[in-house]
Amino acid sequence: MSSQSITQIQQTEITRIVALAAQLLQQHGAESKLIEQTSTRLGKAMGLDSSEMAISADAIVLTSLYQGRCITTTRRVLDHGINMHMVCEVQRIMLLAEGKMLDLEGIGIRLRNLTPIRYNRWLVALMVALSCASFSRLFGADWNVFAVTFAASFAAMLVRQQLAQMHHNPLINFGITAFVATMLASLGVRFGIGEQPQIAMAASVLLLIPGFPLINAVSDMVKGHINMGISRWFGASLLTLSAAAGIALAMNLSGIRGWL
Amino acid sequence: MSDLLLMLAEDALFSAIPALGFALLFNVPGRCLVFCALGGALAHSLRSLIMYWGVDIEWSTLAASTLLGLIAVYWSRRYLIPRPVITIAAIIPMIPGSYAFTTMLGILELHGGGYSPELLSKVIENGLTTLFILFALSFGLAIPSVLIYRGRPIV
Repeated sequence: MSSQSITQIQQTEITRIVALAAQLLQQHGAESKLIEQTSTRLGKAMGLDSSEMAISADAIVLTSLYQGRCITTTRRVLDHGINMHMVCEVQRIMLLAEGKMLDLEGIGIRLRNLTPIRYNRWLVALMVALSCASFSRLFGADWNVFAVTFAASFAAMLVRQQLAQMHHNPLINFGITAFVATMLASLGVRFGIGEQPQIAMAASVLLLIPGFPLINAVSDMVKGHINMGISRWFGASLLTLSAAAGIALAMNLSGIRGWL
Repeated sequence: MSDLLLMLAEDALFSAIPALGFALLFNVPGRCLVFCALGGALAHSLRSLIMYWGVDIEWSTLAASTLLGLIAVYWSRRYLIPRPVITIAAIIPMIPGSYAFTTMLGILELHGGGYSPELLSKVIENGLTTLFILFALSFGLAIPSVLIYRGRPIV
């Protein structure tokens, strides 16, 4: 492909494909280095001299260069939720393109037909609740508190999934979910279930820690994408703050303090 | 000695479950789930072991996440997957969630219940611990690409 020259129409199509790849990666939670590396390599594999991109929190600006000819395009980036399956698939298409196992048309068709696979929501809720219950064990809880944590975070996870499905703002979602989890876990303290029932209050809200954005934020800053790092950091802090507000509201209403 | 091994085994089990649970939440492909669980168990129990020897939580976290980052290089090159797919789910058990919430609740309480030196010191201590653990996690994971691969892609 790179041996023959690229027409302007072809370059436009290539630019669209590279922009789509970058957009998909960012929408599904890849870090900036991965977005930039994967999409510029994809552009090179399709014969471009280079592609330069500016990544920001809610849009991507991309310029493709071929023998002095530039095409620039912008894509809005809306958060579609973290989906590592999509990130793997985009990277696999890039590797196939680099190995010359796909032509331009094939890459376009494959990339445009990608649909995110999601695990069954009940399975996810069950496993996330088990995860929070495991955290309570790591904090030194006994099996009664383990059970309380499991129940509280299972209910909270169902609320979180339902609100996400109804496209509510994540900040509101996190606040309400934290409220529900803390209310349910404080019942364990009220009825004195287990040795240290306060642990359930601390562990059942851990499903709300935005761990992925926080780690991506620091990774971005370490690798030179300071802008993206700051926006991710701030977004994650806001989510934590609104979850904390939900916890504080629940503690004030129930009068049971599990923190501080 | 056998007490320590038992403690580490329990630690590994109860950190493999969260790594797996959050991997499902992040929609990690099925063939990578086992690496998330293994990595999570290995990293968290290594951190507990180093902390058992008396090292601070921040440095122990850095050591554990560095090891995880190096192992993930091998997995990622072998199975052609981006490293974060495995590593981020695997470090979830080490994320300073309780410290972060204590910080935020402390800030809310400083406003609502009024200032007290004990409360402020709690906020600062927990906030700094959160910050340093997060930096240790990310730095550790970045070590292979920053020190060894320097600019070259891993996969």
